[in-house]
Amino acid sequence: MNTNFSVDWFFISILFFTGAYCMVVSRNIIRLLIGFEIISKSAMIAIITAGQLSNNINLAQTLIIIMILIEVIVVATGLALIVKFYNNYQTIDIRKLINLKG
Amino acid sequence: MSIYLLIYFLIIVSAVLSVISKKLINSAIMLAVLSVGVSLLFFTYEAPWAGVFELSVCAGLITVIFISAVSLVKQDDEAFKENRVKYTIFPLILIIFAILSSIFVPDYFSKLSNFSIYLENQNEPVGKFIWLYRGVDIIGQLTLLSASVFVIKHIFKKKKTAEER
Amino acid sequence: MVVDFLSYSLIPLFSALAIPFIARKNKRLIELLSNVTLLSGLLNLSYILLSYLIKNNYETFTMDVYSFSMIFTIYLVGLSITFFSTHYGIENDTNPTSYYPLILIGVSAMSSIVIAQDIFTLYIFVEALSVVSFALITSDNSHTSIEASIKYFFLTFPASVLIIFGISILLLNHPNLDFSTIKDTSSKFLTIIALSMITVGFLIKSGIVPFHFWTPDVYQGAYSPISALLAGIITKIGGVYAIIKIGILISNSQLNYFISKILLLSGILSVLIGAFLAMIQKDFKRMLAYSSISQMGYIILAVATFTPLGIIAAVFHLINHATFKTVLFLNSACVEKQTGTTNILELKGLEHRMPTTAWTSIIAMMATAGIPPLSGFWSKLLIIVALWKNGNIYYAIIALIASIITLAYFMILQKKVFFGKLPEKFDGVKEAKFQLLIPVVVISGIIIFSGLFFDRVYSYLSRIV
Repeated sequence: MNTNFSVDWFFISILFFTGAYCMVVSRNIIRLLIGFEIISKSAMIAIITAGQLSNNINLAQTLIIIMILIEVIVVATGLALIVKFYNNYQTIDIRKLINLKG
Repeated sequence: MSIYLLIYFLIIVSAVLSVISKKLINSAIMLAVLSVGVSLLFFTYEAPWAGVFELSVCAGLITVIFISAVSLVKQDDEAFKENRVKYTIFPLILIIFAILSSIFVPDYFSKLSNFSIYLENQNEPVGKFIWLYRGVDIIGQLTLLSASVFVIKHIFKKKKTAEER
Repeated sequence: MVVDFLSYSLIPLFSALAIPFIARKNKRLIELLSNVTLLSGLLNLSYILLSYLIKNNYETFTMDVYSFSMIFTIYLVGLSITFFSTHYGIENDTNPTSYYPLILIGVSAMSSIVIAQDIFTLYIFVEALSVVSFALITSDNSHTSIEASIKYFFLTFPASVLIIFGISILLLNHPNLDFSTIKDTSSKFLTIIALSMITVGFLIKSGIVPFHFWTPDVYQGAYSPISALLAGIITKIGGVYAIIKIGILISNSQLNYFISKILLLSGILSVLIGAFLAMIQKDFKRMLAYSSISQMGYIILAVATFTPLGIIAAVFHLINHATFKTVLFLNSACVEKQTGTTNILELKGLEHRMPTTAWTSIIAMMATAGIPPLSGFWSKLLIIVALWKNGNIYYAIIALIASIITLAYFMILQKKVFFGKLPEKFDGVKEAKFQLLIPVVVISGIIIFSGLFFDRVYSYLSRIV
């Protein structure tokens, strides 16, 4: 059970930057949401590794259960907004969000 | 030690494949594989409750919601090309940086872990944690669930036609 | 959770859940139920508050002063928006069966935020509040509101991620996540790193420079009564409240100069950039959004001192700014409904046709700029004195100069928009219905009275620390 905390957080930061790259580069809004999902998963792994290091794994599990619920609701809301955006604008290109400027 | 490295490898590979694939459905399926990998990671860290929730909810429900949304937003994939050629230089730099930093970055994180305290007597069951110590979060979950019902109803309301006004 | 105030967060939740069942019988009952719920809570709170303010004797006041003031402000702004929406005519734009429950759930989530004793409970209710506000921003089906909602969604999610990383660092040496545990270990290095990540996360959510890019677009594009709710209370409770709470917790720590520097820098940048960019805007709501950024900068500057006077000044300015922006946004919704435009270059001479709207807006603008004897003057004075006494003399001078610039700009704006000759196309413009004006008149009365009786208000607020 003696895993290496620093190796875990190194992989967490790689996953975080992969998700951030996906958000910066893509033009399709649904792909932005996939990047958002990857970043949320990396945050959850961070909580479990920190909880395991200080022998407090049960508190960390409780937090994860609630965070999964929050994540599902936020993703469902995001996709509902994207479908409504498609109904209004007939496209899902992010370069088209230029109506409000200044 | 090796089982952790295998699961981390699976997670990183599925994340990279989900970023660089061209079709949206492939990205959603790679996201499901990522969720399965994260759930296996939770099991090996001796967190079975978190693993079960992650497997059933994220690898099942979120994938279904994503695929239904992708089907509702039908778009020609050649309608706009994501011109990623000019961005190809960044992943190469990031890969080289990742390999180089694996030598000296984990040192900083181990300094962070030196501050941690190994707490004793924390082996109470999860049910006691959820109900007694964090019982207030149940009100939070009730608020979230009732909010989500009204949110979905509000976003997809019908526009009144001129006769109904 | 502070058990005294638990009913203030559960009752709006249950009445929101009861509304779809009532709506099948009669549609008018929805508005009645939501208004009565919030009105009863507000009457209860104001009775308690006024009885203590008049007696000026706080021996028997055992409740938490900060939470009490925040719940009062939440119910006041929530009732104004609900009452305004009842007569604004939202049936043409949106569906009342889901609009009113969302506002009630928002009020319930905000009340639960201010009575939480635990940093993860705070995070859960902040997420519930932002999910509700995503839906409320896009209430009408116009193009601008859906764009504003998507921008709000994607530009404030880094805040959630940063808060989760901060909580995970806190888990390394804390057995539980209560505020009292954080206060006991506030001199340790790990706690300060975790709290600075959480602070930056909440700075993103409240629209402070350099994370202010979502604020003007969202305030301009949202549906008009919801802009008032968003600017009046949601960005405050969902953002600045937690920063003030962290400021109360780490007041006595040895290592708090690190967070102090972050807050001072972002605060002074917000004050300057908000004040300067507000001068070149052509749209009324966008100008109000930049002025909001500037006033939030003042609150952050006051918290950065970590002294009791600074914390009291920050809380007082938060309550005041909630009232100012509610009045201004509701009045701009009235003006937009009557004249059909929000362009500053076209609006002239409105005082002749809409006198009540004009005079309440003038009171709110003068209070924002800081003119005695209104309440804005006292809160800005307290902020500048707190900065001066703490030794940040240059910051105090820059804040004073920015306040004078804001004053000059608002004077010019009032003269242009409200006084002057009325153009011909606005000849048929009438005053708004008197029911739409009741909330703004009541809140303007609160602004004037809390400025005149400032010593009572100060002796009430000084019990925070």
